[in-house]
Amino acid sequence: MKKLLTILGITLASMAYSQGGTLIVNNYSAYEYRGALIANNFSGGCYPVIGTNDPVIIPPDSHIGNGNALIYTNYRDQFGTSLYPMLNWTVSIAANSSNVRPWNHGSLVPGGVISNNTKWSGTKFEMYDLATSSYVPDFHANMTVAANPCNGVMDYFVTPSGANSAEMFVITTSTGLVETYLQLY
Amino acid sequence: MKKYFLSAVLAILTLSSCNNEGSAVNTVESMKTPQMENFDKAFKSLGDPQNRPTEEERKRNTSELSDRRKALLVPASKELILSSGVTEAELMRKTGGDMSQIIVWATQIYMQKSDEIKKNIKSDK
Repeated sequence: MKKLLTILGITLASMAYSQGGTLIVNNYSAYEYRGALIANNFSGGCYPVIGTNDPVIIPPDSHIGNGNALIYTNYRDQFGTSLYPMLNWTVSIAANSSNVRPWNHGSLVPGGVISNNTKWSGTKFEMYDLATSSYVPDFHANMTVAANPCNGVMDYFVTPSGANSAEMFVITTSTGLVETYLQLY
Repeated sequence: MKKYFLSAVLAILTLSSCNNEGSAVNTVESMKTPQMENFDKAFKSLGDPQNRPTEEERKRNTSELSDRRKALLVPASKELILSSGVTEAELMRKTGGDMSQIIVWATQIYMQKSDEIKKNIKSDK
């Protein structure tokens, strides 16, 4: 039951993937990121929603600086180009309608319906301490980029101690290029 | 006897290949140019207490990185673009001085360079 709730929670509560551009995850922290990455429609009803079907695991200290950042250019090509290939995506085109689609499924191509109607939007994660083999207390969050009409959670998170934080933001050029960042400090 | 000798040789070869792998991982970082390093540092510095989003920035109804924080990325981005052989004039012409365009362009150059380094390391093996 708990597992089911977790899966439901991850599916419904996180928002975040978009083909509107590239997603870059920089984990500067000393902990392992374990979570889901999500994208949704921003205009007209929140669907489709698409999320990573398997847990995304990013080791501590993995970022562009050492070539270990997670970089997803789109739902399909990430499989061949990313250090963190995602074999399957969970795609919901409406509430109560969810399908698991492999990375090379026809609907996931750049310029396809799913790609064109979703933007990277959120993440739900926990941080794991490899040194103690336990989850880091207080360093877990459900986040989305600001101004997501379909998810009101924060785009910025800081642990009570202030030692760790996380944020999501977007850099958009006037020529329409979009980079979405998830940064874990 | 010959068999033992061969297996010992094999073991040494196996171990030394592991050893190489470790040094290759280090090389990704050590082969970066100073401009790449500064670009990394700039991105990482967004998490420094003074560079975190302010209350006001967090109240904005947009996911776009604030101009104040973009400005933290611009100097290193410019340096990186110029280090790739682009002239200052070309940089201004192509970006119109737009901070987002400068940062995104630099990111693309960064990734390209980073891929090249990875390829070089692989071909050295």
